[in-house]
Amino acid sequence: MPRRELSRPQQVTEWLQKWGAILKAPAMMTLIGSAALLWHAAQKGITAGLPENSMDADPVTDSDELAWLCYDAIIGSEFEQTHGWHINLMPESVLKELPDGWRERASSGSYGHLSVTVPHPADLLAPKLRRNEPRDRQHAAWAREQNLI
Amino acid sequence: MRRLLYQDEARLEYGRRFWRDPVRKARLLAHWQDGRHPYRDRFLEKWQPLVDRVLSAAPGDDDQLDATLQLEGLSLRVVAREIPPVFGSFWNEPSAPTSPPTATSAPPAATTRSASSAPPAIR
Repeated sequence: MPRRELSRPQQVTEWLQKWGAILKAPAMMTLIGSAALLWHAAQKGITAGLPENSMDADPVTDSDELAWLCYDAIIGSEFEQTHGWHINLMPESVLKELPDGWRERASSGSYGHLSVTVPHPADLLAPKLRRNEPRDRQHAAWAREQNLI
Repeated sequence: MRRLLYQDEARLEYGRRFWRDPVRKARLLAHWQDGRHPYRDRFLEKWQPLVDRVLSAAPGDDDQLDATLQLEGLSLRVVAREIPPVFGSFWNEPSAPTSPPTATSAPPAATTRSASSAPPAIR
């Protein structure tokens, strides 16, 4: 299978649009990590891919229906076979890794029944830069190059 | 209470959500008892009632639950680690035939988790 993974902004919006159409009831998602950076890029019409591909998207949700959908897209799933990346459902407490006040700086999007909150790129990068692995620094550099921060 | 690892906390948090829904609860239980699930034996031999207990508990009672479990030589952290993961490779397939649990259980989940169920990380 060709190596695809998650690298292009459009992959994120296509996924959100598809799931927004699948959901039967309103659901909220907070998207973090690299997929969230790609979401911001998509909002600006950026097509440049991440320099280091991601294997997954990291959502947080309080919706049972959406969480169940995430379980269907877990690592090893048919979703992953189709898309080349998977969904890594995160606990709400992971949002404490973001800088204080991130909610006031966050952006939002709506896709059918799905409402998505996406922290500001600078807030998304804060935990990455604390971890400070090479790929984290590459993602931060990419965000600067794309004028996301 | 000691903080849980994110992957353990995710299984606890969302497992509790699904535990309230009989259909989803049954689906999870069937998956965890599937003959292909690597943690099936240890789940059936020891952890099922404890996992049921923590997934049935209200999140707001975690400190009390943890204190009670510690009196039993356990902790919420320990039990949360024993909530089996979902394996996408057969999550959507009919359950495989099962055999009785073998005498030898798999080592603790922390050391047996394969690359296909690697712990979540913010990426």
